[in-house]
Amino acid sequence: MTNRSQFPVPGSQFRAFSPARVWTLATATVTQLVRMKILVFLLVFSAIVVAAGFAFPVMNPEQQLKILKDVSFGALQMFAIVIAIVSTALLLPRDLEDRTLYTILSKPVPRFEYLIGKLLGVLLLIGGGLIVMDAVLSAVLWLRQNMVLAEAIHALEHENSATPENIAAQTAAVAKQGLTWGLHAATLAIFLKSAVVATLALMISCFASSTLFTIVITLCLTIFGHGQQMFRDYFFHGSMSAFGEKIASSLLAIICPDLGLFDIVENIINGIPATMPDLLNMTGMCLVYVVGYMVVAHLLFVEKEL
Amino acid sequence: MPATEATPAVTVENLTKVFKGQFGRKAFVAVRELSFTVQPGEVYGLIGPNGSGKSTTMKVILGLLAPNQGHTQIFGRDSSTVESRQDVGFLPENPYFYKHLTGLETLLFYGRLCGLGGAQLRDRAQEMLNLTGLENAAGRRVGGYSKGMLQRIGLAQALIHEPRLLVLDEPTAGVDPAGSRKIRDLIMAFKDRGITVLVTSHLLEQLQEVCDRIGIMAHGKMVSEGRLDELIAVENQTEIVLEDASPELLARIREMVDTESGKTKLLQMGNPRTTLERLFLKATEDSSDVS
Amino acid sequence: MKRKLQALALLLVLGLVKLPLEQSATQSLRTHGLLSKPVDLSLRESLGQMGFAASLGGLRSLVASIMYLQAYTAFENVNWAKVDSLFQVTTRLQPGYGKYWEEASWHMAYNAASGYLTDKKLRPAIRHQLARDHVRRGIDILTEGLKFSPNDGRLWVELGNIYARRGLDFLSEAWVTMDAKKAGECYLRGFKNGALPVYERLGAYELLKAGDDESARAAYDILKRNYDHSARTPGLIHNLKLAEERLNIPAGQRIPDPEPTPVQRRR
Repeated sequence: MTNRSQFPVPGSQFRAFSPARVWTLATATVTQLVRMKILVFLLVFSAIVVAAGFAFPVMNPEQQLKILKDVSFGALQMFAIVIAIVSTALLLPRDLEDRTLYTILSKPVPRFEYLIGKLLGVLLLIGGGLIVMDAVLSAVLWLRQNMVLAEAIHALEHENSATPENIAAQTAAVAKQGLTWGLHAATLAIFLKSAVVATLALMISCFASSTLFTIVITLCLTIFGHGQQMFRDYFFHGSMSAFGEKIASSLLAIICPDLGLFDIVENIINGIPATMPDLLNMTGMCLVYVVGYMVVAHLLFVEKEL
Repeated sequence: MPATEATPAVTVENLTKVFKGQFGRKAFVAVRELSFTVQPGEVYGLIGPNGSGKSTTMKVILGLLAPNQGHTQIFGRDSSTVESRQDVGFLPENPYFYKHLTGLETLLFYGRLCGLGGAQLRDRAQEMLNLTGLENAAGRRVGGYSKGMLQRIGLAQALIHEPRLLVLDEPTAGVDPAGSRKIRDLIMAFKDRGITVLVTSHLLEQLQEVCDRIGIMAHGKMVSEGRLDELIAVENQTEIVLEDASPELLARIREMVDTESGKTKLLQMGNPRTTLERLFLKATEDSSDVS
Repeated sequence: MKRKLQALALLLVLGLVKLPLEQSATQSLRTHGLLSKPVDLSLRESLGQMGFAASLGGLRSLVASIMYLQAYTAFENVNWAKVDSLFQVTTRLQPGYGKYWEEASWHMAYNAASGYLTDKKLRPAIRHQLARDHVRRGIDILTEGLKFSPNDGRLWVELGNIYARRGLDFLSEAWVTMDAKKAGECYLRGFKNGALPVYERLGAYELLKAGDDESARAAYDILKRNYDHSARTPGLIHNLKLAEERLNIPAGQRIPDPEPTPVQRRR
């Protein structure tokens, strides 16, 4: 071992914020969560997508493709939200219970970097999973789209109405329900929603005493968050006679994030395009929530007795 | 004993820590107006029964808990600041690391948290593995390590960034005598290299061999403190150990003491006892020689 | 404790600050058609708790698809009332999705109406009434759908089809034209909103059948334009000739008579 006497003054190498430290924590979080058999869910999802794509042959082409997308995006949303809540809720209590938190925070690691690293790790995992599932969905949808189009043209030929006009119309109708760039925007929206939910879970775990408590509260806020538009409408425009109702709606509108903002999947599936300003709008709101809740989380974590 | 620098390695002044009671229970005073210092380069043992406040004191020194009163410093810096931890390595009691990482990956992880990287970190990690005798287990997952190996990897991660101060909380708890001996040898090696060590334990025999100074805590207070040899020496007694002494010689010594004037008297004469630990170590060494 | 209070205060301030931002973002996304209005509370009973919660939770399209599948099963079981009620829920869940309105009206105006008409267990008067009512129901469904999607060419075409083909002759129990003028207008609206060019011609043909001068004039203009600029199909030529007769177009302005089609004798 080297002689310490020539070493520089302690603390001179310390940086108040280090992206490298955050990245180290994030990658350790990803490997920690991958151990929770996330990949199994990806396989299950792939099976669901394939089943949804081929299970309803009696439907007309448009409906077949719509159902494939509906079921697949439903599974995508479930995956993203469940992973966001459960895996984030487990992180802090597990590190605390295993005393890994002591060894980490006894190093020159500010508490806010620990939180950012953990959140980044969860988001890397969810993002990676969504990319893989988006690719699987796109492949199956592309395949199915071509199959149903061929069946539809064959049906037109059988009816002696396979004119160029009819074929073009059928192709356009199938293409509208098929694989479009907008579907990737829907996947991005799901990711943004799960980022907000994960941040909520992390914030709650900073003061919660148990994992179960964190999961339950986050789930409640997620559910209320989907109805937050209604509470907000009451807050701004509603005329409720009961004082209690008004207070309850106002509190829920204030506390809960508006998760309905990210529910563009339905209309994307119906062919409405998402423009760059729309995506920036949603991303901006996501950042407002994530940054705001992380600052609150830090205030709670700084005082947490370990 | 290395030359004392002006700034103590650890300064604890009037530290009080109270844990609030939950659900109507009374608040618990874990540490009460505790003050002590640890000089650079010495090995300081903080001993006391379970619940005496040793671990709480350590956590406050490391910034993991905030004191209600008083303050703590590490080499002159407020220990609640993150920078102060640049110079501290900590081994908690019953440490646990990410099970899925190997020994080497664990050291790389902690090294990166300390700002190390690249080839420098890899070299350092290998050095620590060699130092703690884990070079053959570096590629194994930490989840499969024995208790002793966990303690040693814990020591390795505590040292990865060459800290000037090591804080060890019950480093030999649950470790077999051979493992304990290794850990104590390491502590002596750290001391030789000028690293300050603050160690807690309630295994008194083990601390006796390594510490320069001792602080004894009970009920959150320091009840006794000082240099080890001063504290444990029985001042008015002398011990002489002879090998292959004949009965006639022993009789002559007894006679000399009897004829001595004053209060001198012979308290005990007989075969000295080895310790159970030495017996264990000798037996296990002998059996490994035979095999 | 101090930090906990700061955290709570920040949470409340953040909550208040975000409200107008959320309003603005929601409004913008609704304007661009990416967000739908919240699910109506009255759907709770029809959807059940889980279905309603899922609809609120961003799974509205999936719930609509499931309701659609249930409607399809009801169709297979020939339960027209259930088909109608399930499609009502489906269309209310996704009012912007034209295909649901189209299929709902198809089930009523065609399947249910024909089903009742051919049900010999019922007395003729009842059969005729039920058939006519269900055709009317089909028209109402499409009319409601067009309120949400006034530019959906397909819905206009389907409405035109019903007016063109789903009138009921009680004596012969045959399907005849219900209202040629409305059929023509619907086909033309469909064409203007992206339907195939054939529907412009079909619209003209129906307007010609309407019988009034105004419709005949409009039909003539369309058919003449098509004759001058696009394919001269036999149907177009035939109807254009009819229109010229109807409007007494001067001989010099009429289109030439078509060449007689050679008759092929069988050997």
